[in-house]
Parts: sequence; structure tokens; C-alpha cells
Amino acid sequence: MEAVKIKEENYTENSPINSLIDLSEKLKKSKTKPMSLTDIIGVAELLTSSLQPLLRQIDSTIHKELRSILLRIESLRTEIAKVRADDISHHKIPEMGRELSAIVEATEGATNNIMESAEAVMDYTGNDLEEYKQIVADRMMQIFEACSFQDLTGQRVTKIVETVEIIEERINLLCDMLDMSATSEKAPPEELTEKQRRKKELMLNGPALAGEGVNQSAIDELF
Amino acid sequence: MALDSAMPILVVDDYATMIRIIRNLLKQLGFINVDDASDGKQALEKIKKKKYSLIISDWNMEPMTGYELLKEVRALEETKRTPFIMVTAESKTENVIAAKKAGVNNYIVKPFNAQTLKGKIDAVFGE
Repeated sequence: MEAVKIKEENYTENSPINSLIDLSEKLKKSKTKPMSLTDIIGVAELLTSSLQPLLRQIDSTIHKELRSILLRIESLRTEIAKVRADDISHHKIPEMGRELSAIVEATEGATNNIMESAEAVMDYTGNDLEEYKQIVADRMMQIFEACSFQDLTGQRVTKIVETVEIIEERINLLCDMLDMSATSEKAPPEELTEKQRRKKELMLNGPALAGEGVNQSAIDELF
Repeated sequence: MALDSAMPILVVDDYATMIRIIRNLLKQLGFINVDDASDGKQALEKIKKKKYSLIISDWNMEPMTGYELLKEVRALEETKRTPFIMVTAESKTENVIAAKKAGVNNYIVKPFNAQTLKGKIDAVFGE
């Protein structure tokens, strides 16, 4: 029984398709002859070999893509590290909270001291002019002292502004590296929390900035 | 309703400092019968126990705002005509209009002075 002989050397890497065509021709010519196991293995080898360049090509493309993704991830990791999110959440924001609390405490303390002094002057019921003058002088001095809060709170506010600027800079950096715009139209609509919804419903807007809101004269016209 | 220096007034604000300021201003204007509450809920409890001639309230408070307090006060038969002045930092048109619709008698934007407070109290009592 003459089997169709297919040898490895018939196959060249540059002509896998030709080898398959040749094989096909040989098989056509030997219609009556059954294929031996060697022939089947040969066909399998030839098919595998013919797919090698394609697989190598696919493999190379995938490899290039994966390599590119890997490089991008590494680059992003480096850039994200520059944002130092842990520093923002663990240090910058809590520090701002502490500074703001200190401002509230300082302004409250100063206001109380000033009011206490003013009340002491206004509540004087005696008739001794010299005593009254001394009370006024002492209390005015206390008011001056209390006003020193402005210097400290001013410095604290400056620190907060600087921190906000650092956070803003880092968020912009993150947006840039992710090709995101801070005002991206793709951003999903913001979902309001229960607290935000209540604020909106009850019109809790807080104090308006200069030039915003309506002034007392405009309000008076409504009443 | 006539203006009476002995009339009971309720001042509602969540900032003790602001209550103190309003108390002092009222004192200078001659009003000495002043109670206070730190939010709308506490104020409502006091209003149900005592009849006030005037309520001066902030807007932005928790758990019950001055706006909610105003609506509650207007819904009660005994207080539906009690003079109510809103003293607040909320100065958006929507706030003023909403308060007016809810039945506020006058509206003062913070910061304010004694003269403004006196003017509004006088206006509310038709002086």
C-alpha cells in the first residue's frame, strides 16, 4: 500500500499555503489509496506548520498591545502616585477641618469677649464718672485684645486656601492623565444625598457673596 | 396689635452668639421679656406652651428650619396671626418669596443693625 508521503522538508515556512495545495493535489491523485497514520500525522503537522506564521503574527500583535497597555498602566501608576491621594485624605483634608474648627473657636471666643465688654459698659448703673471712665477704658482695651483674632484667623485662612490650591492642582493632574475634563459632559448627573436634597428643598443656601442675593432695600419693597 | 415693651418675644437661632446679639439689641430697644430657642423644633414646643407677641427667627437651623417653623406657626389656630420676622443670611429671591408666601411679616438680612430691627418691629406692629 503506497501511502501519500508528506515530509517535513517539503514544507517551507514561506510557503505553507503552497504546501497545503501540493498536499491537496497529491490526495486528489491518490483517491483510491487509503491514508496511513503517517499521512494523517503529516497532514496535521503541515496544518499546524501552516498556521504558525499566522499565530506568530497574532501573538506579536497581542504582545505589542499588551505591552502598550502595561506601559500605560505603569505610567498611570506613576502619575497617580504623584497625586498622593492618601496624603490628601489622611493629612490635607483633616488638617483643613482642624484649621476651620480653630477659626470657628477663635471667632466665637473673640465675639464673646467683645460682647461681654460692651455689655459691661452698657450695664453700668452707677453715678461715678471716674469709675465709669475707668470701666470704659478697661473694657475698650479688652475689645482691642479680642480683635487680635483677625490676625490668627487670617493666617489660618491663608493656610486653607493654599491646601485647596494643592488639591485642585492634583485633581487637575489626575484629569489630564485620564484625558478627563473637570467639566466633562460625559459625567453622570450628580445624585443628591438626603442632606443635599433637604438643603435644596428648604432653600438652605447660606450667606451670599458680595453682589449676590438681594439687598435689604429690595426686600423691603416686598413688604 | 400694639407695640408693648413688656410683650413676650421669642428669638430662635442656632448660634448662641446671634441670640445674644439680638437679645442685646432688643434690650436697647426696650424689650426685656425675651425667650430663646436654638431651632424650630424647640421653638415650636415653647410656642405651644406660651403665647408670644413676636417671633424673630433665623432660617438655617437643624433639625427644623425657620421656614418650617413659620409654616407650622401659621398652621396653628392660636399662632396663625402671631407676628413673625425672619432674620437670616439667606438672601436669595426664592427665599424671600417663599417666606412671604408662607406668611412672614417681615424679612431682615444678616448682618443688620439695631435701627433695621427697630424699623421692622415698628412696621409689623404698624407703628
